[in-house]
Amino acid sequence: MRDKLEEWNGILASQVVSTEVLTKCSDLLSKIDASFENLGLKHEELPSKEVPITKDPIEEVLAKVEQNLAELPVEAITKCSALTSRITQLIEILGVKPEETKEVILKKPVEESLAEIEYELSEIEKTAETTGLIDRQAMVDRIKTVAAREEIDVHKKLAEFARVHILEGKPFFAKRLLTLKKLVEKARESIEAETKLGKTYESLLTLRKIVEIEKQVAEEQKKFVRSAKTIYFEAWVPEYNVKEATERIMQVTGGTSIVTDEPPAPDEKVPAILKPVPSYLIAFEKLVYSFGFPSSGDINPIRVLAITFPILFGIMFADVGQGAIFVIMGIILTLLRRRVKLEEVGDIIQYLLISGEMFVFLGISAIFFGFVFGEFFGPSGLIHPISLGKIGPFYIGGFEPTHEPMKMLKFAILVGAIHISLGLVFRFINEIRHKHYKLSPIPICWLWLLIGSLYMWAYWRGISNISKWFADGSLMLAGLIILPLALILVFTGIAEGFMEGVGFSVEVFAETLSHSMSYSRLMALGLIHSAMNYLFLVLAGVEHGHFPLESIPLIAIGTILVMIIEGLVVFVHTLRLHWVEWFSKFHTGEGIPFKPFKHT
Amino acid sequence: MDPIFISLMGIALAIGVPIISAAITIITCGSALAGVGTEKPELLSKLIITVVLGEALAIYGLLIAFMLLSKLSDITTMEAANKALISGVIIAVATISAGAGISYNGSSLIGATAERPETFSSNVIGVVLSEALAIYGLLIAFMIIGQI
Repeated sequence: MRDKLEEWNGILASQVVSTEVLTKCSDLLSKIDASFENLGLKHEELPSKEVPITKDPIEEVLAKVEQNLAELPVEAITKCSALTSRITQLIEILGVKPEETKEVILKKPVEESLAEIEYELSEIEKTAETTGLIDRQAMVDRIKTVAAREEIDVHKKLAEFARVHILEGKPFFAKRLLTLKKLVEKARESIEAETKLGKTYESLLTLRKIVEIEKQVAEEQKKFVRSAKTIYFEAWVPEYNVKEATERIMQVTGGTSIVTDEPPAPDEKVPAILKPVPSYLIAFEKLVYSFGFPSSGDINPIRVLAITFPILFGIMFADVGQGAIFVIMGIILTLLRRRVKLEEVGDIIQYLLISGEMFVFLGISAIFFGFVFGEFFGPSGLIHPISLGKIGPFYIGGFEPTHEPMKMLKFAILVGAIHISLGLVFRFINEIRHKHYKLSPIPICWLWLLIGSLYMWAYWRGISNISKWFADGSLMLAGLIILPLALILVFTGIAEGFMEGVGFSVEVFAETLSHSMSYSRLMALGLIHSAMNYLFLVLAGVEHGHFPLESIPLIAIGTILVMIIEGLVVFVHTLRLHWVEWFSKFHTGEGIPFKPFKHT
Repeated sequence: MDPIFISLMGIALAIGVPIISAAITIITCGSALAGVGTEKPELLSKLIITVVLGEALAIYGLLIAFMLLSKLSDITTMEAANKALISGVIIAVATISAGAGISYNGSSLIGATAERPETFSSNVIGVVLSEALAIYGLLIAFMIIGQI
């Protein structure tokens, strides 16, 4: 509505919220917070209560709050706390031992007695300072300078001073201080008895909430526009809430409003409703959302990522022993998270605590692939690789990557092709959901191209026989690569124009090639992981799966080193494969999360 | 010339040059990252990708050097020695180019993300594509070593 203001110039004007109201809100909030601080409490720690929402104008509500705030006995209590802390400090400095004192009673009203106590306390503080009770060294220095000037015997003077001031003065002060402390306590008790402190906290909390809500409402009102008698506003409402929202607005305004339900325009950016995920997926949620939010109606890939992410990580970090350490670490972190308050720990610890369950996921996957590739703290020979089968030329497990890297490379490309295919299927579903029927055949053709080129690569035994692709396999080439590319060109051309079609089909061809090649890092990093572990195995003298006792410390050092450096590198590469190679197929990350207006 | 000497040269290139490119990348991106971290520490966790991808370059070099080292006893002819040398040269050139790409794009990405965090997803492309260059080199170097 606000962007139409120019068009409607003279009839509509933007709603003006006086800055006074906003400033007053902030003022009151900071005042209330200061009171909480003086009372030694944090408002976040107190149980929150529902606050009734009033229909009164903001100014009235704020004035009422201010009045209530002034009536609360915050000041006296604050004074008590300040006095207590001053007395305690003095007692500590003087090294007074707590001893039994007589019961005390307040002879005058609380306010007066507090003022008297304060006066006496400052007198005591002054005396203590000048007589050297607090800072004896300063006193000695002073006497020494005086003595040097007036040629008095320092030792004699000091002895005299100590006898008169320190030894005789201290007990008197001590007793008086303890009495004062008791008096302050008594005063506080009487205030609390009179006003019921619990109620003070509660009313402070209520006041705070009221001000917060009013502030929020004032901020929202800035977005409204108005004419002389009418106020207009627009808001996004989830489809399933439209009826309720309309009814509520009607109810509040007493039927004097008009509500129209306008579906979003075809090219309009719609906020996406992001459903909350279970707590064990929070780490994966962070990985997805730090790239970008899904657009409205798109597939939210958190749950699928929670499966594919550990798989890719496990292939690169395949190791039974280190995977087990990950699982144990994850369980410990998960248990710790329930005991530690997340706000109180540092950043890195916070990340670790949040990702407790993710470590378990990653560890389980690493153990699984550790069995498949036969790695236990490196290729130690303790575990023999277990084969999971063979699809054409692709071996799934049953070999040691360091000995047969080409098999590992083929496996990596196969995994990549499956991963990208999954992304393309999601793209297809997204296009159907958005009713982009003209664009929906493109992911299918792309899938055809991807699987087709993988098949050709396997059928002609690699890229080195590429001349045969064009001679004997020309028909196959036409069917599996050229035809889908041409179809992509045609479909994009129909939907968006010919030139876009040409550009996009070239892009598809290049992406298919480079993105599949990119998955060869599964092999590279897997080999690096294995090689780094192997280095420590050789240094420690481990042979044929036999771990001598003296090799344990060296293996431990190596494991820590590999787990930190390699773990980080492998993690980032897994993230990269998901962010770039996978998300570029279906998740643009350009969505806007839907944040409903609510009282916090 | 002595085949062992030539293949040792290959190993030296394979480990030395990637380490230099990783260092340059980490120096550029790390210092940019430190600057942003003072203003917007919440962005550090996703921008750290630039530094780690730079670090990975050194690891690629390490892998090739390590594989050459394990093949050292098999290298007896001049042909095998040349292959070892060339694979070292390939990984050196590939990581230098990738390092240049990551350090330029990475520091720009960090600055741009600090200003407008929503541009991250499209700006990160430059960094990861540069990093892919090293993977291509690694793949070919790797295949040459396989033929020794």
